[in-house]
Amino acid sequence: MNLDIIAQMAVSGALMGLVYALIAYGFQLTFATSKSINFGQGELVMLSAFFSLTLLDLGVPYWLMVPGGLMFGAAMGLVVERACVRLSLEQKSEGWILLTIIFGLLGFSAAENIWGRDDRPFPSPISADAMDFFGISITGLEISVAIGVFLVMGVIELFKRRTLMGKAFEAVSADRDAAELMGISATHTIMLSYGLSGMVAAMAGILISPITTVGPTMASALILKAFSVAVVAGLDSGFGVVVIGICLGALESLTSFYLGSGWREAPGLILLILALAVRPNGVFGKASIRKV
Amino acid sequence: MLKRILLLRGTEIIALMLLASIPLTVNNSYVLGLLTLLTIYGILLIGLDVTVGYLGQVNLAQAAFLGLGAYAAALSVTVLGFGMMGALGVSMLIGLVLGGLLAFPALRLEGPQFALATLSFSALATTVLNEWDGLTGGAQGLSLNRPDFFGHAYDAPGFYWLCLIMLALVWMAMRNLLASQWGRAFEALRDSPIATDAMGVGTFRHKVAGFALGSSLGGLAGGLYAFNFQYLQPQSFTYDLMVILLLGVVLGGRKSLWGAFFGASLIVLLPNLLSNRLLFEIISAAGLLLAVAAGSRGWMKKTTRPFQALAPVVAMGLLVVGGFMVENTENWRKAIFALMLFSVVVGLPDGIMGFAARYLTRLFRIAPSTLPSASNLDDVLPLKQSDNGVLLELKDLKRYFGGVKAVDGICMTVRKGHVHGLIGPNGSGKSTAVNVISGLYAPTAGEVLLLGIALPTGSLFKVARAGVSRTFQNLQLFGELSALDNVMLAMKGAYRVPLPLVLLGLSKAEGHRAQADALALLELVGLKDQARVHAKDLTYGSQRFLEIARALARKPELLILDEPAAGLAHPDVSVLVSIIKTIRQRGITMILIEHHMDVVSELCDVVTVIDSGQVIAQGTADEVKRDPKVIKAYLGAAADEADATPVPA
Repeated sequence: MNLDIIAQMAVSGALMGLVYALIAYGFQLTFATSKSINFGQGELVMLSAFFSLTLLDLGVPYWLMVPGGLMFGAAMGLVVERACVRLSLEQKSEGWILLTIIFGLLGFSAAENIWGRDDRPFPSPISADAMDFFGISITGLEISVAIGVFLVMGVIELFKRRTLMGKAFEAVSADRDAAELMGISATHTIMLSYGLSGMVAAMAGILISPITTVGPTMASALILKAFSVAVVAGLDSGFGVVVIGICLGALESLTSFYLGSGWREAPGLILLILALAVRPNGVFGKASIRKV
Repeated sequence: MLKRILLLRGTEIIALMLLASIPLTVNNSYVLGLLTLLTIYGILLIGLDVTVGYLGQVNLAQAAFLGLGAYAAALSVTVLGFGMMGALGVSMLIGLVLGGLLAFPALRLEGPQFALATLSFSALATTVLNEWDGLTGGAQGLSLNRPDFFGHAYDAPGFYWLCLIMLALVWMAMRNLLASQWGRAFEALRDSPIATDAMGVGTFRHKVAGFALGSSLGGLAGGLYAFNFQYLQPQSFTYDLMVILLLGVVLGGRKSLWGAFFGASLIVLLPNLLSNRLLFEIISAAGLLLAVAAGSRGWMKKTTRPFQALAPVVAMGLLVVGGFMVENTENWRKAIFALMLFSVVVGLPDGIMGFAARYLTRLFRIAPSTLPSASNLDDVLPLKQSDNGVLLELKDLKRYFGGVKAVDGICMTVRKGHVHGLIGPNGSGKSTAVNVISGLYAPTAGEVLLLGIALPTGSLFKVARAGVSRTFQNLQLFGELSALDNVMLAMKGAYRVPLPLVLLGLSKAEGHRAQADALALLELVGLKDQARVHAKDLTYGSQRFLEIARALARKPELLILDEPAAGLAHPDVSVLVSIIKTIRQRGITMILIEHHMDVVSELCDVVTVIDSGQVIAQGTADEVKRDPKVIKAYLGAAADEADATPVPA
């Protein structure tokens, strides 16, 4: 009996963990090309979710809303790149950390005032009824999360491998200077990566909102765990984030069951600090050799 | 000189007097409350400036240290029954210890990873304060009473004066610290951690010390915060506060005590300014004007990029337009902070104090403090008698990178007093060999002996301490430090005063001595007249010479010069040759990696030629030039065909 509960907690936690993995994947996309990440990514998730909810309220059908929300996310990603990242990269400084934090603050305040501070439900045509798999109940929504996450990551990975633009993406990730000498514009590729990253954030928002509801603070806990997943897995391993995301999701679900829900953030945070101490490049990351 | 002291110290004393006398004339508890908060935030921001300004890392944990310090003080009083001073001591200790502990894992991290580590730490701290409700009262909060001071209860002015004294003490201690070797080391490891280690300064302990110190000030501020409000809640110390603190430091101006103080005043006053409609409109309009003025000036002079000129104008314009459109500016507080912070970070990276300091220095014509006269070179670099004995020995040294055998069994002997040339085609393993000797890489196999004793492996810092100093092929100067500070930082054996005495300002004498010694070394490389110039503003040739002067400040047994002539113009090459000759006259042994064969021929007593990670020839410059194997390595021709071809210069 007890074992059943543990299994149940672990599985639903792991499914949530896939959303962390998806957001962490968004960090990887921009880190690969520009060695920068958007510290306001959580607010991007939240803003996209609110925007999508507004589309639904305006009577846009669910399946049309999805591309609309994704476009919004991509556009916001481009805004972040232009306003907060490009200048610092040109100056080879780390000003983007502060500037993206500022962007997040602005986004948070705007959402609070435009859409209000209360959490709102997010309707979804997918059934929230539980189905039974070998004694473990899983809702249709949870399955949709899993499918959505793998779909988005799969499409982007295919894009990177099979298209010319994707190859340019990989080239800039491997060596920015060499890519520029081959006539690839690093600036355009970094823009592309921020656009994709914004789209991934929007997808995460649309997938998770029916389960958690939409509110200005919906992403603040989410984003910390996405950071943990990205750092523990390593900022260059797409496979790693899925594995670590699932593990962390399960772990925190068990923690909140045994220690109380207030502690559910703790394992991710401790893991993050430990990973940084022991393996700064992540469990699946590659260490680089210092050169002088 | 006198004018400088009068103006700088005078302003500080007048400001302190003014602040101290306010409660005597103004009897208004609201004003007094704001002033008390100002002193507390002042201490907090001075601490934050150590990491954000000097160490140059985005630190998101200072709000958490404020909270931890506050709870530590509150619990020391309520649970342990400590007095005020004891409780404040506990607050500082908590900050110091936890800050040190956090710095350990965060040590190897740069930029985003460091920010993430501190972010996680603050989230974890909030979780603990919230959930450990048996001790902290959780979300319910924790009340406490301000303890008495030797039987006297503090009234509001009394507590304010206590906070002000604390601020003044912190101010003086930090001024002393930041002007000492510690301050230089903090800035050095921001600019180049590798060179900081290679100069024997040690990134490790300075980073930990800097972070722990900043955090302990956060803890102290927390203790005062607890006694000021006498009621604590975990929600007060979250991410939002952290962003506001960063606003204070950046807006006030990094690397400046006045900047921290100015930032603190801003944080304290801003909520009041925002709640008043008219004031808000005035401020936003003034901000817009400033952005337009600064932006158009930068645009005209082409000193800023178009984005830097335009973006603050757009942000401030948004603030003005938004001010007319929204009903309640209080609700948009965070957005207003964000827009202001954005404008400052983009348009005024030095902050308001950085900008004002430059302007005021010009206005009052404050001359920089005078330099002592240079020491006698014989005292700085005593002449060494060379007995032609063995100094350095490489025994079958190997370093592999995966399958690449960069160094594959090098044996080499360097004799005392020699300039030992190390040459070879590109990619032959010269730099890797030198990087293994100097400790950047650990060898895969083999050993390095200095005077018969094995050198430490895999640590630049330990090798530097053992007496090996080096320059870098790709310059690793501390760009934001002056040429003089670059050399002073590396000065061996100059700094002996322990930290507590440094805080008390008792390290000035040794600072002056180090300055005089450093000037002698700058004179040796011909840079004495540019002692005050920032290293990043020197010409390329001067930067190369500065690296040599800095390496000499280690007073090394062995000096490794890694392609010192690379990229130098021809006149500079002759200067370099004469510098190296002077150093040789002092009896210092050198390993010289170089591609200019004329330089090698002129300077080197012995030359070792490396190809594919192995020694292929050894001897005098003329001998190796005629060696068929060397010719083959360079030209790729069959040895018999290229018999008499000289190696290209």
